[in-house]
Amino acid sequence: MTSKKIPSSCDDALAMLRGEMTSLDTPPEVERALMAAFARQHAVPSWRSRLAGVLTWRVLAPGGGVMAALLAALVVLQPGAGPDAGAPPAMAATDAFIALQPVERIAQERAPRMVETEVPRIALAALGVAVTPQNADQTVRAEMLVAADGQPLALRLPTL
Amino acid sequence: MTLPDHDLLRALRAGDATAFQALYRRHQGPLFRYAVLRSGSRETAADTVQEVFIGLLNGSLKFDPLRGELRHFLFGVARKLILKQELARGLAPHSPPDDANADDDGEWQEAPCMAHEPLVRMLDNEAAEQVRQALAGLPPHYRDMVILYEMYDLSYGEIAAICQIELGTVRSRLSRARAALVARLQPMMRVA
Repeated sequence: MTSKKIPSSCDDALAMLRGEMTSLDTPPEVERALMAAFARQHAVPSWRSRLAGVLTWRVLAPGGGVMAALLAALVVLQPGAGPDAGAPPAMAATDAFIALQPVERIAQERAPRMVETEVPRIALAALGVAVTPQNADQTVRAEMLVAADGQPLALRLPTL
Repeated sequence: MTLPDHDLLRALRAGDATAFQALYRRHQGPLFRYAVLRSGSRETAADTVQEVFIGLLNGSLKFDPLRGELRHFLFGVARKLILKQELARGLAPHSPPDDANADDDGEWQEAPCMAHEPLVRMLDNEAAEQVRQALAGLPPHYRDMVILYEMYDLSYGEIAAICQIELGTVRSRLSRARAALVARLQPMMRVA
């Protein structure tokens, strides 16, 4: 649509421009991109990364020898493998390993170590470990496979 | 109830997505329109708005509410971003340095600096589009004055803060900018 109305002064011309400009808005894709950026920035870390963040340990033994068996065990409890990837795994088999990283990442690790650690029980709640007011301040002994750079790869709770 | 900007900013920093969205929706329109008029390009304007809000989101922009309104702060950031692009593209060769308060007697003063897409039609209204193009033909430091004073009704003080120049410089640039714009609009107004 065009208009033939001609402004008679500079003020008229600017008023006309001001009126026409009010219909201009930022394209909607900008808002979508910004909200996606916001979501990425404020994403809640997964239970795996939250757990990995609280783990400290002492070295038990080089872990290379247990790698193959561990990877086989991981298939059972690897939480990212099933359709319900965000849910914590069941804790029925406490001698099995729970993956803290994707299986592919674990399989690629060339110099893993087995370490022993004490994990706050409350940090294990997301895995399905029972936490009560009575035991919330306790720790649980865990064995963990750690990458050469210190990244926790997998965890098991033999004494639970 | 409409929350003030600083409450929304606080909520945004605490991770409230609705606060970020409300802040964006409140300011995107005026900011986009400023950037369109300032840069002469919808694409540049959209990129600028996005960059400004990303800066708010990731904390790289530090807004101090004691130093003025958020809206003016956002205009100032957008202006800097556009200026940076213009300089990078060699599109503002006649502008004074960004922080200059020099009198408008420099050799750059009468040399119009074309926005990089001034002739790309943006408005349906033919007369309004001609006015926009006349404005786009002004040197950037004059364009700023006309846009902020005439289109946004900002005070000399607010414009001085946004453009980081002295009050007197705002006054003299605005006067020259209006004169330059009137000259550009004359052919159009003679038809009236």
